Amino acid sequence: MAATATGPFGFAPAIAVFPLVAFVITLLFGKHLPKKGALPGIIATGGSLVVSLVMAAAVAGGDAHHTELYEWTAGAAASETGAETIAFTFGILIDPLSALMLVIVSLVALLVHVFSLGYMNAEGETGLRRYYAELGLFTFSMLAFVFADNLLMAFMFFELVGLCSYLLIGFWFRTESAPSAAKKAFLVTRFGDYFFLIGVVAIAATFGTVGFAGEGSFVTAAETAIEDGATLFGFDAQTWVTITGLLVLGGVLGKSAQFPFHTWLPDAMEGPTTVSALIHAATMVAAGVYLVARMFGYYALSPTALSIIAFVGGFTALFAATMAVVKDDVKQVLAYSTISQYGYMMLGLGVGGYVAGVFHLMNHAFFKALLFLGAGAVIILMHHEQDMWKMGGLKDKAPVVYYTFLAGALALAGIVPFSGFWSKDEVLFDALAVGLSEPVILAAYAMGLVAVFFTGFYTFRMVFLTFHGEPRSDTAEDPHPVGWAVKVPLLALGTLAAVAGLVNMAPIAKLAGVDITFLEFWLDGEYGYVEGLTYHHYHETVAEMAFEESYIGSETTTMLLSAGLSLGLALAGAFTAHTLYNVPDPDRHTTKLGGAYSVLKSNYYQDEYQVWLAEGFTLPLARAADRFDQTVIDGVVNGTSQISLFGSDWVKRIQTGIVTNYAALLVGGFIALLLVLGYLGGWFA
Amino acid sequence: MTVDVQYYVLLSMAVFCIGLFGVLTRRNALLFLMSVELMLNAANINLIAFAFYHGNLTGQLFALFTMALAAAEVAVGLGIILVLYRNFRDVDVTVPTTMRW
Repeated sequence: MAATATGPFGFAPAIAVFPLVAFVITLLFGKHLPKKGALPGIIATGGSLVVSLVMAAAVAGGDAHHTELYEWTAGAAASETGAETIAFTFGILIDPLSALMLVIVSLVALLVHVFSLGYMNAEGETGLRRYYAELGLFTFSMLAFVFADNLLMAFMFFELVGLCSYLLIGFWFRTESAPSAAKKAFLVTRFGDYFFLIGVVAIAATFGTVGFAGEGSFVTAAETAIEDGATLFGFDAQTWVTITGLLVLGGVLGKSAQFPFHTWLPDAMEGPTTVSALIHAATMVAAGVYLVARMFGYYALSPTALSIIAFVGGFTALFAATMAVVKDDVKQVLAYSTISQYGYMMLGLGVGGYVAGVFHLMNHAFFKALLFLGAGAVIILMHHEQDMWKMGGLKDKAPVVYYTFLAGALALAGIVPFSGFWSKDEVLFDALAVGLSEPVILAAYAMGLVAVFFTGFYTFRMVFLTFHGEPRSDTAEDPHPVGWAVKVPLLALGTLAAVAGLVNMAPIAKLAGVDITFLEFWLDGEYGYVEGLTYHHYHETVAEMAFEESYIGSETTTMLLSAGLSLGLALAGAFTAHTLYNVPDPDRHTTKLGGAYSVLKSNYYQDEYQVWLAEGFTLPLARAADRFDQTVIDGVVNGTSQISLFGSDWVKRIQTGIVTNYAALLVGGFIALLLVLGYLGGWFA
Repeated sequence: MTVDVQYYVLLSMAVFCIGLFGVLTRRNALLFLMSVELMLNAANINLIAFAFYHGNLTGQLFALFTMALAAAEVAVGLGIILVLYRNFRDVDVTVPTTMRW
């Protein structure tokens, strides 16, 4: 039920306002504050976390919240479906999905702030005031994006998130690589956002509303239009929903670094590792997938859009996982694993597995934040060395970092019972169930399944190279110690990465016949919910509009088969890594791949072809357009003025300055006029 | 006995053409001014003749306005001619041709 703005929900705006206030305070007074402004950020994100938890508790208590905060402008709309008015507003939507995401984002942001004390302050970085101010703004943008109740507000904060990640990736702007990486991230995501903007305009123009929830949402309007068999802008309603959905998906692919817009994410490693943790786990990259989940009801109406989401997701999962196999930089491996994992989420959402996608989003937020912070800790240990071949043997020197990192790695590889197993398995199960009757989805499922092997392999290659074996450099012999500010976030996230999967153990629930799929109940409206935004509703829509599910034998056997396959492949990958790299002095086995190695090492020449696209195609096109502009357009404009210039140069000669001539012209003109009028009037006829 | 209106029109036309001829052929600014006066008065004759013809006083009233206007115009015109003479030591209208473009 949709409740009014009473009780705890009255405090909902505070979730985003806290970090905004921290941003302003840090920006103005950061220089004079102890810890250069870390404290306002920690207090603010802590406050956001508390309020988010209160919201989640209120949702668990059977409530939900949808309210309008501020109306920018409203007016008459010439919409295709006949809506009479349109209003652009700021509003808050707290339903199970956004409540869950608010908790995740504020928790990860808090832990990243705390970790920064150890990573940035203790290392004596300069520009910390800027760093903490930007972190505050980043958190604010993401939180506001999460509780946005309409597409336009979501778009605005989506853009703000992009801006903040640009600023933070380019934090070390005096180096050569960081500003270039920041620009790349900004431009690539902006290219996707361009389509998103067109999508927003198209949806607003079609349905006369941009709301996510309630009777007046574009999702409901689209459903009605499809039921009525309406024609929108000359297209069948469902086709038009597909087109607009895919336009919005452009922004999603850019932000969530899905193929072919994934190239910015590995470069984004130029930012501080804490920022990478925030970008990968909870904010920037998560924003894309979250948007798909937020307007899932819309995508559920279009089987084509869903298939594309699923296929792109499955392809990206495999594509990125293969590239992660050959990387030597610990952060690069994690970057490609992020792309791959977001591919799984897209696959899950694309096959209608709303719960699976959101579940993996949640688990990934925890274990990827953990892994990045763990990598940050390793980088502290190694005095800012990121090459895994110079590490080794850190296991005994930093046990806290090792065991928490291992928990994250097990979760990432999808080893039972760590969190990643449960969600990845559910994604793959949903994909298989749909794939059995849809060949495209089956292909996506197969790619996702193969990627499981690679995930297990590169994850444990990273773990073994970093922590096992003999130390391979002097710094690895004698690592820099890490403080409590590093260990506390790692322990918190390590625990979550290990146990978060327990909230939705679907295979066990099926086997034992007990109701322990709590996340599914949560998203299904067992607690508080907003009408039309429940898993139940989505599931029905997908079943009606798009896909049928079928099983090998019974549902339980299919589930066990899928779980067994993915677990077996993950273990096989981990075991391969174990035999190859868990030795005192490992070799660079990846170089034996020959031609495949150089292709993978160069990231399938994706950067090269995109640079070629920019330099070989866009630049000449722009030059041609410029030449056209300079010659034809300017030529017409200049020609017009030249004609009038020359013409008037001639005409001015009749102005002799002699009054008599003027009088003669006057008289002559009058007589001529008289003759013309007379001729037309028929005097001479 | 009354004179037919067409004779007035002929008279008016004659006076107007004399004025026009003056404007087109003379170089002396004073004669210019006089020719313009002739043309104005030709118009006056027309106004009064047609007012009489229609039995309506509006035309006569306008003739009075035209005379007042002509007086003002002569004042301005003479002022211009004075300045002309002061600058060029001449009242020939073909001399000052510099203020054109």
